[in-house]
Amino acid sequence: MPTINLSGAQKNYGVNSANAVSNLDLEIRDGEFMCLLGPSGCGKTTTLRMIAGLENLSDGEIRIGERVVDSVRAGVFVPPEKREMGLVFQSYALWPHLTIERNTDFGLRLRKLPKEEREQRVEKVMQALDIAKYRDRYPSQLSGGQQQRVALARMLAVNPGVLLLDEPLSNLDARLRLEMRAELKRIHKEFKTTIVFVTHDQWEAMTLATTIAVMDEGTLQQMGTPNDIYDRPANRFVAEFVGSPPINILTVGSPAASELSRAAEAFLGARHPSLRGIGSIGIRPEAIGYLVNREHVPAGSFSGEMTVTGVLPTGGSWILELRNDSDTLFLTTSALPHVETGSKVSFFAPPEALHVFDKDGQRITEADALLRKNMLN
Amino acid sequence: MALVTETAKGSAVPVEAMAPTTWQRWRYRMKVASREPTTLIGVLTALLFTYLIVVPIISIVLDAVRVQFGHERRLGKDFGDLTLYYLDRAFLSPVSVDLFWRPLLNTLSVAMGAISLSLLIGTVLAWLISRTDMFGRRWFATALIVPYMLPAWTFALAWTTLFKNRTVGGQPGWFEAMGLTPPDWVAYGRFPIIVILALHYTPFVILLFGSALRRFDSQLEDSARILGAKRYQVALQIILPLMRPALLSSMVLIFAKCLGEFGVPYVLGLPVKFEVLSTSLFRSIASRQTGVAGVVAASIMLIGIITLMIDARLVREARRFVTVGSKGSMNRQSRLGKYRLPATGFAALIFLLSVGLPLLTLFLSTVMKLPAQFTLDNFTLDYWIGRDLHTVALQTGVLLSPDLWAAAKNTLVIVGLASLTSGILGLLVGYVVIRTPVKALSVYLRQVTFLPYLVPGIAFAAAYLSLFAVPRGPMPALYGTVTILILALIADQMPYASRAGISAMTQLGKDPEEAAQIAGAGWFRRMISIVIPIQKGSLVTGVLLPFISGIKGLSLFVILAVPSTDVLTTYSLRLVDYHYTQAANAVVLIIAAIAYLGTLAAQKLTKTNLAEGLGS
Repeated sequence: MPTINLSGAQKNYGVNSANAVSNLDLEIRDGEFMCLLGPSGCGKTTTLRMIAGLENLSDGEIRIGERVVDSVRAGVFVPPEKREMGLVFQSYALWPHLTIERNTDFGLRLRKLPKEEREQRVEKVMQALDIAKYRDRYPSQLSGGQQQRVALARMLAVNPGVLLLDEPLSNLDARLRLEMRAELKRIHKEFKTTIVFVTHDQWEAMTLATTIAVMDEGTLQQMGTPNDIYDRPANRFVAEFVGSPPINILTVGSPAASELSRAAEAFLGARHPSLRGIGSIGIRPEAIGYLVNREHVPAGSFSGEMTVTGVLPTGGSWILELRNDSDTLFLTTSALPHVETGSKVSFFAPPEALHVFDKDGQRITEADALLRKNMLN
Repeated sequence: MALVTETAKGSAVPVEAMAPTTWQRWRYRMKVASREPTTLIGVLTALLFTYLIVVPIISIVLDAVRVQFGHERRLGKDFGDLTLYYLDRAFLSPVSVDLFWRPLLNTLSVAMGAISLSLLIGTVLAWLISRTDMFGRRWFATALIVPYMLPAWTFALAWTTLFKNRTVGGQPGWFEAMGLTPPDWVAYGRFPIIVILALHYTPFVILLFGSALRRFDSQLEDSARILGAKRYQVALQIILPLMRPALLSSMVLIFAKCLGEFGVPYVLGLPVKFEVLSTSLFRSIASRQTGVAGVVAASIMLIGIITLMIDARLVREARRFVTVGSKGSMNRQSRLGKYRLPATGFAALIFLLSVGLPLLTLFLSTVMKLPAQFTLDNFTLDYWIGRDLHTVALQTGVLLSPDLWAAAKNTLVIVGLASLTSGILGLLVGYVVIRTPVKALSVYLRQVTFLPYLVPGIAFAAAYLSLFAVPRGPMPALYGTVTILILALIADQMPYASRAGISAMTQLGKDPEEAAQIAGAGWFRRMISIVIPIQKGSLVTGVLLPFISGIKGLSLFVILAVPSTDVLTTYSLRLVDYHYTQAANAVVLIIAAIAYLGTLAAQKLTKTNLAEGLGS
């Protein structure tokens, strides 16, 4: 399957309503496993449905390779049934009046393939997804996980170039979800399909995707590898949406800034004059360390003294809540903390763990180099 | 989060400043809309229903203000000129009292009486069935709905069989025959009409009020009790206000139904010249007073529309009261204690009065030669299967009469064809309403197919008569044909058919069809392989329910049918007119049996609840 290109794609329901998706540019290359990630209502499902052709555009263009399949200006619209894609619905949308085998066979029949080939392909895909034993049952007789696999099999049978998945795991319980994640990864390898996957679950996106596109309020916030997204969030939205417990944000540069914010601003200003008066900084909880004894804090790190107000075990790791008069910091640790609530501790974070954002919330990429250089000194 | 306004750095293509032109947008939308026949089908059905529903209504309203055939000389105007003569005649002239005002007052008084009586009985029964430990609750829940499955004038005929007095000729009623002459006010007119309509519409109250009671969360009661409220305070301050919408809604529905009720006042009101609006309309049509008929029909429509708009408003209001139903919504039963037996007795009594007694009376009347004489030699099956009887007409038992079978065949053909058509059209309308990208079309179709619901059947029939009695354009005169009956029935049944279609399509959702689309199926393939097979069940209901209501329906036919197009209902009414009481009762029993068994079959087949078929 050639590259899929969305340029300036836009969708609104009615002229005066807000854009569900606005001015979206997206490129999905062959063989990619792309995740559209974002909170509910961010336009990710709409984007997926636009690619499939189930939602028409208000403006913009969609191309598959060189072929324009959807364009408002050129007056082109290729209907979904001619786009040769696969889509697994959140509700699975199995046809209740057809058996599992007939469900799987449906697309092949439409393509008027010879009987032997159809049987062969249905058999292969049913075996691959382990649903061959349910072939004569009806969808209502299967469990959620089994239905899910039928929905996948139905689409894989026609061997589509692109497989679109709309939150397919959200209706499954935790254990099945884990299994299906592995399954999807295997399918991606085995069938060599391009996969576009919509989810609001950041861990799903992190573990599955080769590329993640983070969306919010109908616009693309950042596109990159899972590590890019986590380690170099392009703006405050991405930084705060990805990560659990969420990133600690200190807003600096305002007259009402808290004690900790002023300390952070002073810390940055001391590294380089250009870092004075920026908008905010973020520190991930796992990048923060703590010590009972202040003297052992590594030199050159951002540090301070706060009171422990909560120790929350999460099974295997702990979240510590630290407070002073006006700030709260969360940090995570995988070692059993030997501190009591109410005791004072020193926290510290290396300079390169500080994410610096300007007043508009955009990442200041120049700051990364400056902070790293300081560390080397 | 609010800080983020701009697209991130990942996007390379510059923002195109210009929006697409209107022409481009329009061309694109046409492209999307025209690739499937959905919109085309929508436009065609919209045109069809405009012709079948909107045009007849407009036609009868115009009749009311234009000079009718035969009145040119008297009014000194040409046929079709505008005139206020008919309005004046119906509302202001000396005869207006007989034509409009007294029938209106009678309609109102009958409706009010029926509403009060059925509320009184219905609320108690609903409470007993849904919130108490009365014996046989489950059985009563179905049994007490039966009166609604039977045609209302079944009861009217039973009543005359029992109470008919010497005011009218023909075979006397049972009481008369036993030497107790019932006074006129018991035998005919307002009192029996109120009682019969009340018994017939009590199921409305039981269903609507009962379902509201069942949905009522006992925890709301408990909370009030815990805060120190007494039982009666809970009833007055918590339960009653929350039940008000259901009560008002059933009142309004009963009123709307009473407005169009024809058979009962026709059978029981005629002997003492007790007229309601529907019988007055019938008389105007029968005496070819088309102009006045137009005024009366338009008035009935107007009252009907206003009433149902009030109901729609009440339903909206009621939505404000919808408490968040959760797993906690409990339905706790009150213990009746020593009243358990009397309560069961009350329910049984109502069942006997509203089902047992009328049906038994009707049945006995068809197997007895002389009324109320319970000797063995008085029983006969002649009225069902006799031959060579010494009567002027109808010399065989009713089952052997060719007229019955002709009527039965007509019923089957007319009602069957109409129901089949409206069921299919209903599903199509549902599909278009849910799927079309053209929103205006969806709104128009939804509303136009609902319109006949606001218009009582008798007024609607009058509208059809007004439009199709004479040839217009390419349409020949249809009066006296089977076609006019079928068309009118289709239009009359569309509210239920389209509502069923829309709800079926809503429940189906877009997903199964979109999945087929993704798999490569075009529109026709999707209809045949996905939509129709999945909707099989609701298609059957969409045909069966209108069929049942069509079989027991009277008001449409009584105006549009002629002897050659007699259906079972009009046939029995004709028999009543000729005083062949036994035969008439036999036909009514046949209709009742078909309606009852049909409803049961529909329920079994589709596993639906009675409450859902309520509207029909």
